[in-house]
Amino acid sequence: MTPKRSSFGTYLNNLVNGVTSMFEGMSITLASMFFRAQTIQYPDVNIHSNEELVKDYKGNLRGMPANYRGMLHVDMEICTACMICMKACPIDCIAITNVKCDKRTFVGVGGKKAVQTRAATRFDIDLGKCMFCGLCSLPCPTGAIHHTTQFEFVPDNLEALVYKFVTPQEAQKAEARAKEIEVEEKAAKAAKAKAEAEAKPAEPQPENN
Amino acid sequence: MLIQTMTSLGIPELIAQLIYALLVAFLCVNFIAVYAGVISVVERRVAAKMQSRVGPNRVGPQGSLQWLADGIKLILKEDLIPDGADHFLFKLAPFLMAMGVAGTFAVIPWGPANSAASDMNVGILYLISITSLVVIASLMAGWASNNKWSLIGGMRSAAMIVSYEIPVALGLLPAILIAGSLNMGDLVSAQGWAPWDWIAFNNPFALLGFLLFVTGSVAESNRTPFDLTEAESELVAGYATEYSGFRFAVYTLAEFANTWVVGAVCAAVFLGAGQLPPLLEGSIPLSVAVFVGKTMFMVFVLMWFRWTLPRFRIDQMMEFSWKYMLPLSLVAFLGQAVYFLWTWESEVARIMVSHLMVLVFLGLFFYFLSRTMVNFKHQAVAVNSYKTEIDYLERMGILKPVEAVVVAEEEEGKE
Repeated sequence: MTPKRSSFGTYLNNLVNGVTSMFEGMSITLASMFFRAQTIQYPDVNIHSNEELVKDYKGNLRGMPANYRGMLHVDMEICTACMICMKACPIDCIAITNVKCDKRTFVGVGGKKAVQTRAATRFDIDLGKCMFCGLCSLPCPTGAIHHTTQFEFVPDNLEALVYKFVTPQEAQKAEARAKEIEVEEKAAKAAKAKAEAEAKPAEPQPENN
Repeated sequence: MLIQTMTSLGIPELIAQLIYALLVAFLCVNFIAVYAGVISVVERRVAAKMQSRVGPNRVGPQGSLQWLADGIKLILKEDLIPDGADHFLFKLAPFLMAMGVAGTFAVIPWGPANSAASDMNVGILYLISITSLVVIASLMAGWASNNKWSLIGGMRSAAMIVSYEIPVALGLLPAILIAGSLNMGDLVSAQGWAPWDWIAFNNPFALLGFLLFVTGSVAESNRTPFDLTEAESELVAGYATEYSGFRFAVYTLAEFANTWVVGAVCAAVFLGAGQLPPLLEGSIPLSVAVFVGKTMFMVFVLMWFRWTLPRFRIDQMMEFSWKYMLPLSLVAFLGQAVYFLWTWESEVARIMVSHLMVLVFLGLFFYFLSRTMVNFKHQAVAVNSYKTEIDYLERMGILKPVEAVVVAEEEEGKE
């Protein structure tokens, strides 16, 4: 509030200020009367398709914003089953178990190199518990777990809200492969030990000689 | 005419007049009800337009039947009376308020001069005094509700209406001076069809009186720049807090009907009512159309005020009334009197001043339009062109985010 000075000048100044600011304000609201409505008539239009939206909607918005935190999705192709998301989740709605798998190196979404040594046999997200905070997608080294812009996923029962990203068949496959790898590794270890054992007595021989 | 036919059928004249009066009152009240409903939808659409929204558009074509749905909903609701309330006053208050508004329809003309329901010789005085019923009604509602918010709302309403009644009445005085009568019909016939014949553009003091009247009337009808009685953020709904169902509907009805009263009085007293150019004189439908057009324009201006101006604080509101509007209305009244003496004998000076006023007003109007264009350009910046975390090209789907690349074969050989 302006300091009060009892002068006729301030009084007139107040009057002029009031009238001019009102004049300007009225012109602003009149100008905005000629703008197109920005509201998207949501259930009537498909909000996810820009082409459909543009047909009758004339506002500035173009569908869902890309950084919208909707339903979680995991790209199992690039998931390394590192369990960082599970540890980051503040309400423990992610459950992961993993087994050993063939080692592979690839480049993730962020452009970072990643090494996969373990494969998930179970990757469940309980979206009924999820609060869409985004703390799981932030530390993900490959960008496998991410929020989609999808927000319509109301099912009939609570169990349907638990999303399973690894099918039982895939899990069985991964477990079988893990057993094979174990056997292979054991064999490789045994072979290595054998080779070492063979090499050890051979090594001192030249020293002795 | 109706009275004459009734008396010829053998009905005593007093009863015939009563029947006639009841018929007119019935028509007026029904007009108020329908108008208030329609204007509530119009107001919501206008507000939506001003805020780049859509507004109610579900019931009927473009939401035009929304008011029927609202009315039916309100009538079907339970009429609650709070424990500890004064039942008689609580039940009476909303109807008293509606009465205060409906009573003004007796002197409001509908187009040509002498088209008001009652050709009272103190029409303006009656109009100013009958609207004071609203003060009693709001105080009654506030007191009878047995509720802090209601009481504060009622007290505020009384304080506000009483203090704004003075500038409103004084703002009307220049017009009364020019017409030389308190009769509504005389005030209308003192004006012509052209803007320079209107009382508002007669001289600067009359225009000042007009502006003061509009501002004060906004305050008197409890509309938004002065909606301290129903301040939603402070007092839940002011004196209407405890009301529900039909009684609440009557409050809203009175509030919206008041916009017509303000608009019609502005049009009749200051803006040339339904006066037509000499060529078209005598055409009643055209005259009514002109009058209704002017009234609706004033109603639109009231809505425009409502969605432009921020609310006053209670002390600012009282300060505005007593320190600014009251002195200004006195200036308008005294200035008009002095101007009248000055131009007592020269018709030419009066004509020149009124034409100059219209010219200046036109200049202001075009300046206003140019400001509107400038503001339109300022606001016409696309929302997505502002920089955010995500590039707007990416958001619009022109740029795609970096894709995940699986390079598994590269290292395969090492295993």
